[in-house]
Amino acid sequence: MAAAEKPTKEKLLSTLDDIEVLSRELIEMLALSRTQKLPQPGEDTEQILELLVQRDKEFQELMQTAVEQGRVHQEMQALEKEVEKRDSDIQQLQKQLKEAEHILATAVYQAKEKLKSIDKARKGSISSEEIIKYAHRISASNAVCAPLNWVPGDPRRPYPTDLEMRSGILGNMSNMSTNGVNGHLPGDALAAGRLPDILTPQYPWQSADVSMGILPPHHGNDFGLEPPGHNKENEDDVEAMSTDSSSSSSDSD
Amino acid sequence: AMAGVMETEEQARHRFQLELEFVQCLANPNYLNFLAQRGYLREKPFVNYLKYLLYWKEPEYAKFLKYPHCLHMLELLQYEHFRKELVNAQCAKFIDEQQILHWQHYSRKRTRLQQALVEQQQQQPQAPSHGNTTSK
Repeated sequence: MAAAEKPTKEKLLSTLDDIEVLSRELIEMLALSRTQKLPQPGEDTEQILELLVQRDKEFQELMQTAVEQGRVHQEMQALEKEVEKRDSDIQQLQKQLKEAEHILATAVYQAKEKLKSIDKARKGSISSEEIIKYAHRISASNAVCAPLNWVPGDPRRPYPTDLEMRSGILGNMSNMSTNGVNGHLPGDALAAGRLPDILTPQYPWQSADVSMGILPPHHGNDFGLEPPGHNKENEDDVEAMSTDSSSSSSDSD
Repeated sequence: AMAGVMETEEQARHRFQLELEFVQCLANPNYLNFLAQRGYLREKPFVNYLKYLLYWKEPEYAKFLKYPHCLHMLELLQYEHFRKELVNAQCAKFIDEQQILHWQHYSRKRTRLQQALVEQQQQQPQAPSHGNTTSK
């Protein structure tokens, strides 16, 4: 399609102009021949007539073309409108799709979170029986709740007292000859503070049910402790723990 | 004695008892003050050991603790600031007092509830008699 072609409108107008010019010439010639009474050479008149007819023919053709073009243009407009409508439909669907995706993504995310928390809860689940047993254990011994008849001066505490500490394994460790650390003890403070075995009350805080077979986590001695160091700090603290906390206030300088 | 990398099951069980006792001793603020004043809380190996002891928070170990306060103290001991403060006797005393007050909290609450219940029952069948109200 030659884009350089003159638009139909221009062609029509120029053709009309031509026709106008030609008809004017013809009329002038006829008017002139009338007044002059000279038989004009028919060639001129004929020529003009021919041209006129030609131009008219052109004009008619151009009109046809124009009509055709008008129709095509209308079709184009109709199609454009269709396209617009389809475009807006697509946009609408796009919006809805985006919304749906957002909602689904949120739902999936929340479902995943829920699953995660279910997993977590399941991992940490403990039988209610065990919890009740444990609750009973720590309350019956007044470890977490003071005895109802407690008054200041009562030696009981929510933590192991001096006495309990001394009578435990830790307290008795430095007296085991296998350790060979007795030489570190200044004096025999520990022996002096120790009750005779027969009177030592058995506090349940130390004796776990060994038959359950539970073992502490392995640590491979990587604290940087020297071999007797672990024992040393224990027997040191038990031995020098001279202040009794049986009164409500205790000061250790 | 402290074993090397390999320890027998019996040694492990013994170590379990030791660590069970020791971790519960941490519930005693006076003991903590004692440790602080002798500089144990400044030693890196000891601090590492305290971190290691956190395994007592797991349910399968925690169920052996008679004095659960020790777990809270253990958590606090992970912070250097807390360890530094424990050198101060006043600090240990304050902790001790608060701990004992907390320990008494539920007993007091229960006593108050029981008293309220008793008063309520006494007031119902008869006219309110002021002589029966017990005061604490």
